[in-house]
Amino acid sequence: MPFPIQNPRLLLTPRHLPFPPNPISLPPKPFLRPLSSAPSPSPQTLDAIPSSSPPPPPSSSSSILSIRESLLSRRTKAAELAAEYLDRLRRAEPRVRSFLHVSDAAMREAEDVDRRVERGEEVGPLAGVLVGVKDNICTADMPSTGGSRILEGYRPAFDATAVRRLREAGAIVIGKTNLDEFGMGSTTERSGFQVTTNPWDSSRVPGGSSGGSAAAVSSRQCVASLGSDTGGSVRQPASFCGVVGLKPTYGRVSRFGLMAYASSLDVIGCFGSSVVDAAIILSAIAGHDRLDATSSKHEVPDYASLLVSLDFLDSKPLKGLKIGVIQETLGDGVDGGVISSVRSAASHLEQLGALVTEVSLPSFSLGLPAYYILASSEASSNLSRYDGVRYGKQAAAEELSFLYGDSRANGLGHEVKMRILMGTYALSAGYYDAYYKRAQQVRTLVKKNFNEALNEHDILITPGAPSAAYKIGEKTEDPLAMYAGDIMTVNVNLAGLPALVVPCGFVEGGAAGLPVGLQLIGSPFSEEKLLRVGHIFEQTLQDFRFVPPFLTES
Amino acid sequence: MVSYAGVGSLLPRLGWMRMRRPPNPNPRSRWPTRTTTTTTRRRSRSFSSSSPLRAALDSPDVSLLADAARISLSPNEVREFEPKIMQVIDWFGQLQAVDLESIEPSLRANTEVDARTREDAPEAFDNREAIIAAVPSYEDPYIKVPRVLNKE
Repeated sequence: MPFPIQNPRLLLTPRHLPFPPNPISLPPKPFLRPLSSAPSPSPQTLDAIPSSSPPPPPSSSSSILSIRESLLSRRTKAAELAAEYLDRLRRAEPRVRSFLHVSDAAMREAEDVDRRVERGEEVGPLAGVLVGVKDNICTADMPSTGGSRILEGYRPAFDATAVRRLREAGAIVIGKTNLDEFGMGSTTERSGFQVTTNPWDSSRVPGGSSGGSAAAVSSRQCVASLGSDTGGSVRQPASFCGVVGLKPTYGRVSRFGLMAYASSLDVIGCFGSSVVDAAIILSAIAGHDRLDATSSKHEVPDYASLLVSLDFLDSKPLKGLKIGVIQETLGDGVDGGVISSVRSAASHLEQLGALVTEVSLPSFSLGLPAYYILASSEASSNLSRYDGVRYGKQAAAEELSFLYGDSRANGLGHEVKMRILMGTYALSAGYYDAYYKRAQQVRTLVKKNFNEALNEHDILITPGAPSAAYKIGEKTEDPLAMYAGDIMTVNVNLAGLPALVVPCGFVEGGAAGLPVGLQLIGSPFSEEKLLRVGHIFEQTLQDFRFVPPFLTES
Repeated sequence: MVSYAGVGSLLPRLGWMRMRRPPNPNPRSRWPTRTTTTTTRRRSRSFSSSSPLRAALDSPDVSLLADAARISLSPNEVREFEPKIMQVIDWFGQLQAVDLESIEPSLRANTEVDARTREDAPEAFDNREAIIAAVPSYEDPYIKVPRVLNKE
């Protein structure tokens, strides 16, 4: 696939969408500033240290930046923007069903932003930006159900730290998004409330468990969203919905306020329609939190400021970068179309100057059963708090043990019960060594394999999922078939590594094809590197538009 | 599309086969049985912490597991869950065949966690009203629950 890398100016052309006279109108076209008249710094390669700080990415590569520019220059009001997103949200909802709750305060919050801009007051970097939040992340002013009937109507007494930080940055939480119950599932079919559909094909799933958050960004119902990733729950739906999904390093983002599923694996991640947007959200939410003992004190860089405009990159911006394609992810069990998309992505990266080789991770396939043992075991413990006593739905009972038993039987869904029972088994006397302990040993092996591979390579790449989105109902009868779809993602959680999924191509299906995502994996706290590579990849990917057809059809 | 066969075909790469569940463990195992009870009384239809539970766990006894997990399951539901749970636990069994000799178990992903803990001093939460408002059955200052029955 040829790339006009020789003429970087071509790459500045906004990837704009036709502005059709349609029922559902698209987000405002980003305002394109003419090239700055400042002398251009010398071209940069990935590792070059600039002598002066590089200019930020052009707002054409970021919805968040273009919103900020519009608001500060007074071309748009936050209230107009909020009205537009709310309108688009409502029009798309009957089809996509991404939201469990829509905020009734969004307009008011937008008007607040406008007042502050009016008065010339400082507004945060996310002022006026509409964000969706996965419903297993606590929001004090909105119900937080975790996708479960057992928490129907529950209102937490606090905001999760990640939500608080978004709000402090000026973001407007537009609503709570749908998920598989408590994060257990890969399609949202295990939500206690509704099934979200894939914006690319409404007979298909958006992926899961953060399917609502992925679909909402894909449908442009919000600018960005928060999700959680325990075994791939941000990355797989990002792949299925054609959006950017970021899973940070374990400990990068506080888990305070995230309803725990598997405490040694859970992380809060985010979705955006571009890598820059994901980077901006990460900067806002990352950082140490005294309320989360597992959160890291590692410094939080301004991730987006490191993402340079293509103007300032030479023709081989990835020169010197060593990329390893994980061999085991391009073989049996992986869709042919996905393999070819990922191989094309690998060539693209080579053309950008990277050295791409194959690397083997021998323990790769062991990660899947190990993950499910660890996750089910930890879940059986974490979910014991849902007993109908202090919060949630309480069954009528004459006796305490029936109160527990019936509240849980009525409120918890099928998949959650399965995993609790499996976890109970795996942790029981005599079986701990055979299952849980062995799974932890496999975890050590997986970490070791990744370490070795990441000593030889800067980043590793794989598909985001072994196939494109399934049809609704396709995998619900066979649990193992469902679990098999997580093969690309679980090992990363076992090792606690950061990973980024960027859309890289399409396979056949639906009206306009189904998206395929490329997963980039890095060593702990190397989100900067992942985001830079992802950004360059995304900005130089000429042949694809990742906007679902229903948004542009009349 | 990926089917279960897809997972199976990933396995031969490592040259091992799926094994059955491990044999019935020594009843004198050091690990305590999980007892999740918050009461100290025995329940009418539950088990004590000795061999009957472990023997029954040889092939996962779903109704005993449900008891242990405090989830009321009807006999129908038990029948529904049994084959699926069996299938997954069988699949877990493949780890038995892997040589994990002298490999340390990892409690968590990475070691970046700061070992210093914060001071163990209580702090009053600033929104107790909201916590109380979420309690289904509250009578100040008690969270109400039904009686705990003695075993007859």
